Amino acid sequence: MTGPQTRVVRFAVNGRPVQVTTEVRTLVSDLLRHDLELTGTHVGCEHGACGACTVLVDGAPMRSCLMLAPQVDGRDVRTVEGLAVGGDLDALQEAFRSEHGLQCGFCTPGILMTLTGEREAGRTVEDALAALPGHLCRCTGYVNVRAAVRRAWSQLEGS
Amino acid sequence: MSDAMSRPGTLVGQRVLRVNDGKLLTGAGTFVDDLHLPGTLHAVVLRSPIAHGRLVAFDAAEALTMPGVVDVLAPEEARDATRPLRCVWLMPGQGQVDYPVVPRVVRHVGQALGVLLATSVAAAEDGAERVRMEFEELPCVVDVEAALGDAAPQLDPGCPGNVAVDLPRGDPPDAVEAAIARADHVVAMRFAIQRLAGSPLEARGVVASWSPATGELTMWSSTQVPHHARDHLAGALGLALDRVRVVAPDVGGGFGPKDHLYADEVLVCLAAMRARVPVKWIEDRREAFTATVHGREQIHEARLAFDDDGRFVALHSDVLADLGAHPSNVGAGPAFVATGMLEGPYRFDSSGGRVRGVLTNKTPAGAYRGFGMQQAAWVRERLVDEAARTLGADPAELRRRNMIRADELPYTTHTHQNYDSGDYAAALERATELVGEGLPAAPDDGRRRGVGLCSYVEFTGLGPSAVQEIVGFALGGYETAVVRVEPDGRATVLTGVSPHGQGLETSLAQLAADALGLPITDVRVVHGDTATAPYSAAGTIASRSMTVGGGAVVRAAGRLRVKILDLAGHLLEAAPGDLEIIQGVVQVRGSPTAAVPLRTVAEKAWLAWGLPPGMAPGLEEKDLHDPQDISYSYATHAAAVAVDLATGRIEIERYVVVHDCGVIVNPMIVDGQTHGGVAQGIGNALLETLVYDDVGQPRIATFHDYVLPGTGEVPDMVVEHTQTPSPFIPGGMKGMGEGGTIAPAAAIGNALANAVPEIAHLVTETPMTPARVWGWLDAAGVATDW
Ligand code: FES
Ligand code: FES
Repeated sequence: MTGPQTRVVRFAVNGRPVQVTTEVRTLVSDLLRHDLELTGTHVGCEHGACGACTVLVDGAPMRSCLMLAPQVDGRDVRTVEGLAVGGDLDALQEAFRSEHGLQCGFCTPGILMTLTGEREAGRTVEDALAALPGHLCRCTGYVNVRAAVRRAWSQLEGS
Repeated sequence: MSDAMSRPGTLVGQRVLRVNDGKLLTGAGTFVDDLHLPGTLHAVVLRSPIAHGRLVAFDAAEALTMPGVVDVLAPEEARDATRPLRCVWLMPGQGQVDYPVVPRVVRHVGQALGVLLATSVAAAEDGAERVRMEFEELPCVVDVEAALGDAAPQLDPGCPGNVAVDLPRGDPPDAVEAAIARADHVVAMRFAIQRLAGSPLEARGVVASWSPATGELTMWSSTQVPHHARDHLAGALGLALDRVRVVAPDVGGGFGPKDHLYADEVLVCLAAMRARVPVKWIEDRREAFTATVHGREQIHEARLAFDDDGRFVALHSDVLADLGAHPSNVGAGPAFVATGMLEGPYRFDSSGGRVRGVLTNKTPAGAYRGFGMQQAAWVRERLVDEAARTLGADPAELRRRNMIRADELPYTTHTHQNYDSGDYAAALERATELVGEGLPAAPDDGRRRGVGLCSYVEFTGLGPSAVQEIVGFALGGYETAVVRVEPDGRATVLTGVSPHGQGLETSLAQLAADALGLPITDVRVVHGDTATAPYSAAGTIASRSMTVGGGAVVRAAGRLRVKILDLAGHLLEAAPGDLEIIQGVVQVRGSPTAAVPLRTVAEKAWLAWGLPPGMAPGLEEKDLHDPQDISYSYATHAAAVAVDLATGRIEIERYVVVHDCGVIVNPMIVDGQTHGGVAQGIGNALLETLVYDDVGQPRIATFHDYVLPGTGEVPDMVVEHTQTPSPFIPGGMKGMGEGGTIAPAAAIGNALANAVPEIAHLVTETPMTPARVWGWLDAAGVATDW
């Protein structure tokens, strides 16, 4: 019996080039969490329904539990660990803290990455709110998640 | 906010931002699957693919040849090495009191049978596919009423007729029947509440590590109850308690199902002991749907009797609780609570019920947020609205007329609940007012519109240990806090409760900071590790952490404050009664020049130099708080809905909560808990259900077919509070974690019946999905074409 096929995958994570030899069937979520120990990306379902595993791939929000490692070869991947530059929370993270937009925090990294994608693409607050149904949160009831979105976008517009 | 931070002694009641958000927002939290111990092997739990049958052959030989596969713990081996897990809540006469870690006869799909270890998760999954298990299948039963039938297969020799528990509740049956017979009217309805999966977004998982040198087992676990899990783990494996350590790292939600130790967790620990390297098992979401306890499923045959003038006379419910394959740790507890809290905020001449806990070939049912109180509210509040319809009365007015008045409290119900304090009618009044306000004029879109109410009283702060003893719930009801001012003048709070999203790291710190005159940033709450946290029998369940655990902090910190002032008084040559602590400085009131930093007081105390005669060294106090009595929170929720007669879809247009949970320590956190609870209640009301086919195979395996509420289903809501302090809890708090979940189904169901009275008699089942509601509309001849 031959072992699982492996492949060298080269890509950028939060601006840093990495090279990993991994089985081709490895999910990007596992690659990030277990090979690279970037455990901020969470796995809530591993079947594309909850959004907890969302990362940015070339700037677009993607469910890392639905991608295989070779699919990020040569691409730019960003995770929640890349948001707080220099250790300071960014405006979106601050908004979540100020509005109590998280409780257990398990869904939060995925939501932050989707919203970061929305912000960087210059989308409106309505667009950002319309992106939230792609995420499940079992704790907050979404009320304060939406409040955090409104706060973050109003600060963006105010600045 | 910055204001609240800088004014010591005034943190309780302030919207203090959470102290642990930073790590969670930056991906720096440590959940159990984030632990990477060197040499870790990965486990797959081998599970029953059938609902009922005897395992007759088990063969792992081929699996053991697969790349990366290291070991297989076979069912026989696991059975020989473990003792059964005890049911924690035992009802009188309960026919099954424990369950084996690995059974000889499986009783539900997903029941754990063994463990396979490999060098990676993928290799373990590949290996598990090659494990051969053969079963002699037995007939199964999945429907709770069918399980009572003569033809039903018998699941447990101790439970003839599959009845594990049969208990009368409240007044003697004759008395209730006599009262019902005396009344002018009776509304009788049959209610069915569905089976739910609590579904914390982080499923369960453990990392187990055994040290042969010290004989110590450590289990990191996504649990709500580290000490409870430790006690049961030691029991199951025959280890001394001092050799077992359980750590709850960051935990991604609980909502009830993580309230006990599971058989599969024992198996993973056993496998780690044999492997002598750390073993990790992370529950897959599909696995969670059959391996983690379910919640809710009950059938109520219920009656409300009342007079022409609207006075409630009697209430009764005959409850069938589908316990699943065996009584879980809490067994028929949710049905016991459902009947215990059935009366809600109203007076009755007589009230009672019957609880039958019945075994079926489904995953065991256990704790889920709202624990019986959700079912009680659904049954009672639907009956109340149907009574109003019978009388042509206003539902709010009928409630008001029968509500226990503020001046009647304390009040003892027919099921011996000692309601403590509050003004139930005030919450009803305010919710009724608020739901009408700001409701836009209904557009003429062909939809029907209606408003519904749900008033309830909520049992919180489990509980005095003496009450636990009376009801047979083998968990001490106390909590312990240790509060210490460290030699550097900062404070540490050690607590036995185990937060997993509730923000207790902040709210318990607020209590201590107020007592000690420290800013919140100088107080750290330590929890979750049985090696460091004080013993907690019950952990974070049952809306008890802020009441029982918080009460312990209030008392320990209060005593510590007295000692600080005594010592500072000695140092300043001032009377302790003249001193105050402001921002970490002890000073003579009104004379800030006569002052000593708390840090200096702490240094002296820990050096134990120059202490006043008789004063013990150190600045540390411990309090073991066993509450005097239960605390009862209460609320009225109001929902305004629009119902599409063509599709059966219900849209919530306005949702109002008026709640009283005693003294509010952090209003931001309390509102957040309420929002989250209401969201889960909306899932219960409109969306979620676990379905089995007739051979006990679950029809639900993913979040694609188990529909949880998303942002589109949960509206922004109006949440208001009144604050009637608990007379029993130091600090005056009452519990509130479950509150939001209790009422939405009843409020929404009543709104639906109000909008479409033609179907009112049919509104008895949840979830009220478009398909089900359309069926009701069609049956009543009111469904319209697209
Ligand atoms: S973990 Fe990827 S969508 Fe749920
Ligand atoms: S904060 Fe717990 S799942 Fe969203």
